[in-house]
Order: sequence, then C-alpha cells, then structure tokens
Amino acid sequence: MTEASKSIRDELLKPDSGSVRRSRIDWIMRRVFEASAFLTVLPLFVVIMFVFVRALPWLNPAFFFNNPLDPEPGIFNAIIGSIQMSGLAMLITAPIGIAGGVYLSEFASSRVVSIGETLIDILLGVPSIVAGIFAYLLLVPVLGFSAWAGSLALAVLTLPIVMRTTQEVMRLVPVSIREASLALGIPVWRTTLLVTLRTAFPGVLTGLVLALSRALGETAPLIFTAKGTNALNFLEFGTTMNAMPLVIYRYAGAAEDQLVGQAWATALVLMAVALAMNVAVRWRTIDSRVA
Amino acid sequence: MEVRALHSLRGARVAGDKYFTRLMSAAVITLGLLLIALIGSLVSASMPLWAVQTPLSFLSTPAWITGIEQADGSTVEVYGAAAALFGTAVTSLIAVAFAAPIGIFGAIYLVEYAPKRVAIPLTFLVELIAAIPSVVFGLWAVKDLSLRLRDSIEWWIASTVGQFIPWLSEEPGSPSADSIFRAGFLLAIMILPMIVAVSREFMRSVPVSLREGYVGMGATKWESIRDVVLPTARIGLIGAVLLALGRALGETIAVTMVIGNAEGIPSSLFLPGNTIASKIANTIGEATDVQRSAVVALGLALFILTFVISILVRVLIRRFAVIKAVS
Repeated sequence: MTEASKSIRDELLKPDSGSVRRSRIDWIMRRVFEASAFLTVLPLFVVIMFVFVRALPWLNPAFFFNNPLDPEPGIFNAIIGSIQMSGLAMLITAPIGIAGGVYLSEFASSRVVSIGETLIDILLGVPSIVAGIFAYLLLVPVLGFSAWAGSLALAVLTLPIVMRTTQEVMRLVPVSIREASLALGIPVWRTTLLVTLRTAFPGVLTGLVLALSRALGETAPLIFTAKGTNALNFLEFGTTMNAMPLVIYRYAGAAEDQLVGQAWATALVLMAVALAMNVAVRWRTIDSRVA
Repeated sequence: MEVRALHSLRGARVAGDKYFTRLMSAAVITLGLLLIALIGSLVSASMPLWAVQTPLSFLSTPAWITGIEQADGSTVEVYGAAAALFGTAVTSLIAVAFAAPIGIFGAIYLVEYAPKRVAIPLTFLVELIAAIPSVVFGLWAVKDLSLRLRDSIEWWIASTVGQFIPWLSEEPGSPSADSIFRAGFLLAIMILPMIVAVSREFMRSVPVSLREGYVGMGATKWESIRDVVLPTARIGLIGAVLLALGRALGETIAVTMVIGNAEGIPSSLFLPGNTIASKIANTIGEATDVQRSAVVALGLALFILTFVISILVRVLIRRFAVIKAVS
C-alpha cells in the first residue's frame, strides 16, 4: 500500500469529533443505568444485614415460646395471633378469590371481565389503612376491638390478589386441554375443576402464598382492630389479639433495650418468613418473567 | 375456540353446570358488594361531620380541631385535613422524585444492558424488596436510615441552600428527631420495586426490531433508548409512576414511624408533620362522635385519591396486562 493511500485510509477511519462525543455520552449513560440498578437493590441488602445484626443477640427459645409478661418475655402470643388472623383471612379469601378468578377466566362475558378486572384494580389500590377503617366501622361497634375485625381487614386486602393471580394463570391453560376433556363427555363443571383448575393449580398456589405473606406483614389495619395484647388469645368474638407486626410497631420506640431487641428479633422472623415464601414461589417462574 | 364459547356449547353442558357457573359468578358479585360496602360505610360514617361543616372547609382547614364559639355560648368543633393532605402530597412527591428516575433507569439497565445471568438475579432481588413488610422498613428507618439522612443529606442541604430557602432549613440548634423529608425518602425506597417492575414490563414489550433498525442506521445504544424505547414505552412509564404514587399515598405504618406525627403544616421539609394515613392510624383508636367521623372522612379522602389513580392507570394502560407484575 502506498503512503498516500494509507493516509487516506487513516483519514477515513478516524472517528470524527461528533461520534467521539456520542460514544462518550453512550458510555456515561450506561454507567448511570448500572448505578441506578445497583441503587434499586442496595436497600434489600442494607435492611437484611441491619435487621440480622441487631436481632441475632435476642433470638433464643424463650423469645419464641414465652408470652410478653413471662419472666423471660417472648412473642409466642404474637406468633400464634398472626397465624390465626392470617389463617382466618385466607380461609375467607381463598374460596371466593379462586371462584372469582375461575369465573372471570372461564365463563364471564367480555363486559363482565372488564368490570371484574376494574373492581380488582380498585381493590388492589385500596390502602391497607382504609381496609382497616372498613373493618373497624363494620365490626368494632359490635364486637369491640377484636381479632375478627383484623381478619376481615386482611381478607379485604388479600382477596383481589388471589382473584387476579387465579384469573391470570387459568388463562394460560391451553384451550385444547379443555376441549379434550369436554370431548370425552365430561361436564363443564368437572372439566373446570378437575382439568383446568388442576392444571393451573401451581399458579393458584403462588397467588395464595403471596396473599398470605402480605397478610402476615400487614400492620396498619390491625392497630385499631385486633389492637394487640399481652395475653395469649384465641379466635373468639370480641377478644383482642397480638400479631408480630404489632409487636414491632409497639416496641420500636420503647426505651428499654429488651423491648427494642424484641422488635428487631420479631422483624427478623417476619422478614425471613416473607422472603422465604416469596423465594419459594417466585424463583420457579423467574425465567419466564425475565426472558 | 374462545374458552367462554367452548363452555357454552349446548352439547357440553349438563344441568349442574348452570348452578356451578352461578356459584362462581357469586364470587365476583361478592367483590363488587365488598367495594360498595366499603364506600357505603366510609360515606355513612363520615356523615356526622358533613352535618357540621362542608367537605371544602374540612379539606382547607389546617388545624385538626378548632372550637368555634356559638351565639348561645356553646362551642362547636370543626375539623381540618389540610395539614395531613399537605404531608401526604409532599412525602409522595419526594418519594416519586427520587424513585421515578432511579427506578426507570434501573429498569433500562435490566432490559437493555444486563446479560441474562445478571438480569435474572437482579430482577428477582428487586421483587424481594417488595416482599419485605413495611413495618420492618419502618423499624430500620427509625433506628438507622433516619439518623443517617439527618446527618448527611438533610444537614448538607440545610447548611447550604437552606440558609436562603426557609422551607429547606433546619430548626436552629438541634435537628428534629423526625421529618417529612425522611418519610418521603423512605417511601422512595419502598416504591422503587414497583416502578422497576412495571416500567421494565413495558420496555420489554417494545419490539427489538425497532431498536435494531435505529442502531442499524448508526445510532448508539443510548440514542436508541432515548429516541425509540422511552417514547414507545412512554404511557407505561407514566402508569408505573402513577401506580407507585398511589402506593406512596396510602402507605401508613412506615411513615407513621418516622414522620413525627406533629400537628399543623410545618414550615420546613426537615420538620415533623403528618400524613392522612398517619393521622388516621394515630387518632382512630381513641376518637369518638364527630371526631371519629372526621377520621373516617380522612379515610374517605384517601380512598378517593387512590380510586382516581387506579381508574387513571386502568384507562392509560388498559391494553397491557401489566398489573400482574405488581400484585
């Protein structure tokens, strides 16, 4: 290659000042996006680390198995209370939510579907404290502060979650499966329950677990319904009840180290349960959501 | 064949099917009745307040309780939600101001840049943040985040621009124990996952061919994001921010723990205040009579706000089945 043609080639290959600037901006923006992605996950690690470190010294058998007024105080009554209230809420929510999701996916006309989905959207957006007011207005005048009112509030909050996920996963079941069942002469109701719903069941279960994890962590609607107590109460009409989120809320501002420590330990238990439930049901399907 | 049409084929149906479908439809009707009952109970329980004052005076009065002397010597109490409304608006706006850019940028990284082996765990971790109960965030904020913010960002802003702008200044002497700004910052952390999840979903739905076409014409990656991806996903991004705003408006417990629950409209962002939700949480247990219906009226206002946002989002992004990424 001659000297002249070499210099022409170099001249042509040299990036002009505009493209240098553009690729520099491109590089900067890439770093900005990376930093933002890092910032979005940073709180998760900070919170987990912090709660873990603060809670560890307070985790012992007495913490789990004693009641607040015992000589070595614990949160046994709150654990039992949380299980009872969330459990009752799920007992109310699961049948209604699943049935509604099935109806919207399998039988409803497109107009009813659109109305039903709007209802679900609105209820999903209802702040937990408003659901709490609803339960308070409905049940507290009759029963006094009571665990039933707390469960009702939790049910209002979890119902749209279960209905939405059920509808979504039922929709994913291939039509051909229903066709095959119906072609065998199996009635529609049996097809729906034993074939379609059964195929979609892992997804329905995901919705139930997510709803339960929401119910376990919800605090605001319980403050003025179940109210919290030091006693170990069971689901009777008109009894107050303790719950793990209430323990955290009440002890967070306490002066005694013992109580603050219990708040941390309770937070660790609650967070671990919520994270474990979410990991269990979400990790399985993560590929389909990212790919 | 469409599922519904399949199920109404005459040959496939037996007598029991009619009752079965009705039973299933009862669940959807229950959902509707629940919403009606919710609205009905809020409206009827707030009635005693509307007998004393108009909604407009309720929403515009800053002081929570004012005793007004009547001509016959008795006093009538009127209530005001303006301070709580102010707190809700300001904390939510602070939250969105922080969370919207970071969340959308983070989503851009996940969709446009991250290789699959990075995108999968990162997306998963973001989803997990949303799973942490808000009371845990509240506890962490009270014991750690709040103090850090007070000694870093707040102190820095107050001692520079705060010298000239009163609503960014600190209490002379010592900084206050709680502040509106800290509540807003905490809300930003809590709504981030929602913004990332929803905006990611929309950016993913932008066809790859659009980007390829633009890059093929010589555009850089960033230019293809700026000129193709963001404009195409615009509606979805607005929807994502609106959904997050709705979440921020209604968030109660974490805010109640860090905002300080002070009466009145504070003169600076770095002073304690309250929000609609925190006011309800602090007041409803002890409230009786008209005060109770004033608290319920706060709840009604909050419900109407979130209701409007839900409808708005639905109208905006009706065609996309995106809300599933949220719940």
